[in-house]
Amino acid sequence: MIGIKSSLAFRENAAEAVRDSSLRSAMRTATDTFTQLRSAGMASFPMDEWRDRASEIRLNVLNSLPDYLDEFSRNATRVGAVVHRARDAEAARDIVYHLLKDRGARKIVKAKSMVTEEIHLNQHLEVRGMEVVETDLGEYIVQIAGEAPSHILAPAIHKNRRQVGRLFQEKLGVEYSDDPKVLTGIARRVLRNEFLTADAGISGANFAIAGTGSLALFTNEGNGRMVTTVPPLHIAVLTIEKIIPTLADFASFVRLLPRSATGQPLSSYLSIITGTRKPGEATGARELHIVLVDNGRTEILRGECREILKCIRCSACMNVCPVYRVIGGHAYGSTYPGPMGIVLTVLLDGMENAHPVLDASTLCGACAEVCPVRVPLVKLMNLLRERRVEAGFTQSAERTFMAGYGMAVRSPKLFGLGQTLSRFLWPLLERVPGNMTLPRLPKPVKSTFKRRMSGQ
Amino acid sequence: MSDLVETFMRRAINMAAGVTLVNGEGELGQAVATLLSPEDAIYCPASTALEKGLTLPAESLTEDYSAASITVEEVFGAIAETGTIVCSSQGGKPLQAGLLPSRHCAILPESRIFATFEDFFATLGADLPTNITLISGPSRTADIELTLTVGVHGPERLDVIVVQE
Repeated sequence: MIGIKSSLAFRENAAEAVRDSSLRSAMRTATDTFTQLRSAGMASFPMDEWRDRASEIRLNVLNSLPDYLDEFSRNATRVGAVVHRARDAEAARDIVYHLLKDRGARKIVKAKSMVTEEIHLNQHLEVRGMEVVETDLGEYIVQIAGEAPSHILAPAIHKNRRQVGRLFQEKLGVEYSDDPKVLTGIARRVLRNEFLTADAGISGANFAIAGTGSLALFTNEGNGRMVTTVPPLHIAVLTIEKIIPTLADFASFVRLLPRSATGQPLSSYLSIITGTRKPGEATGARELHIVLVDNGRTEILRGECREILKCIRCSACMNVCPVYRVIGGHAYGSTYPGPMGIVLTVLLDGMENAHPVLDASTLCGACAEVCPVRVPLVKLMNLLRERRVEAGFTQSAERTFMAGYGMAVRSPKLFGLGQTLSRFLWPLLERVPGNMTLPRLPKPVKSTFKRRMSGQ
Repeated sequence: MSDLVETFMRRAINMAAGVTLVNGEGELGQAVATLLSPEDAIYCPASTALEKGLTLPAESLTEDYSAASITVEEVFGAIAETGTIVCSSQGGKPLQAGLLPSRHCAILPESRIFATFEDFFATLGADLPTNITLISGPSRTADIELTLTVGVHGPERLDVIVVQE
């Protein structure tokens, strides 16, 4: 599929992205807008207090995750849902496929869900003859273009209005327009019909509330409401760390998630779904299946990077990241881009399959500063960089240089010799054509600290 | 006007909802009428006293909300903190009726405005209705070049009429 790249080719992907000026201008506008909206949305609120509280709640969940999962499952079952546990991506795909197949479902409408991207659910269902329609406008655009999302909240942010206009003209047979209002109207008509004729709806969930067995979904478009209430069968796929203990705890996240994501006090819609339609009710799916996906989380929970599981997928860290802002989401070659994506990708895919994305950070710390649940992103990225060195996934030039440097700093004589040599070698090295790094480094000083202190 | 009503109204306007304040049932009918046009297909569940008290043009009424151009209904409550209205499936309301038509007119008794999310959640107890939907303004998207466009899948207009008792 076009647009799906490998994390191992991160350097090449990033170089390609940097040369794409229309991508860079789209990314700049998008991330600037999100960052400004977020700052405006946060002003005049006791943010530090809110973030401490949210971080504490998430840590508490991680510390007793198995118990909370049991509580959630018990309560969700009590109100009519069927809860499934999937150990890995394959198990999750299999559960969803059989639920659909056993009920003769052919057409499925989907609300945006990152975990279904992570487990490649759409492809699995499509090759088995099912029609899967993404209904979030951005997600729909990348789906009909045959691409992958480039931002976890605004998946089609890398495309401009003319590209979307031509895509609709080609794929939907409509007249060309580059007016977002007209294009949105076209999507509304096409997708409305899909909602009303779908056999099943698949959604993710932003949170699962243990105390009531409820699922919470934040959307702006209303497609999440359609997917979860119009078809007779609703399947919700979510990863196990999405639990929040109680509704009272949930209030903190209602305040933090939309503000961190888009600066909105609240998204247009927040659905709290508790079980199946009860007697006397006219809303709710007849059948609700909740698939709790582990896919590596239990392993992460046991390790030194467990705090990444506090993440609530707001995307604030990517919007402020100087690397993401330039190269966009595709270059990472992974489901999750940006700082949280770097950490999660290495943990989920393994160091051997993902180590180059660890370079996609300047370690400036902007990400950790905006994180609403205080995930120590810089600390985690540094930790994983150390693990990369230990595992030997660094370039040979870097290893040789660091070995030499290590030897030099342990011997004052060698170090002094190196300093002297560098003063003479530097001007020569600067003249090597194509050397981009050296001219940006501070030049060696004429008189070293040691010499000045000893009065020489 | 109480502080709570004032806060709710101010915040709901910030969320791009239309907001009207009326005194009692007497003024409600007039406020609803100004939101309607002769071409409208109106869905009204007529399940609560306030809904039953409305005199809507009989020839414009429809039972099929998926074909309606506007839904007029009393909603469960509201949260002042963010100017959000609360719809609940409790009592047999079809929540899709506030989603499928291109306009949604929500009637809100002032006594059902909660100050914060915690205040509202605290009234729910352990057994929740199947669906609670919090609505803040119209359906919106910014997925094409971050240009804000309303009415993508849900209503392009949300009007809230606050009824003072």
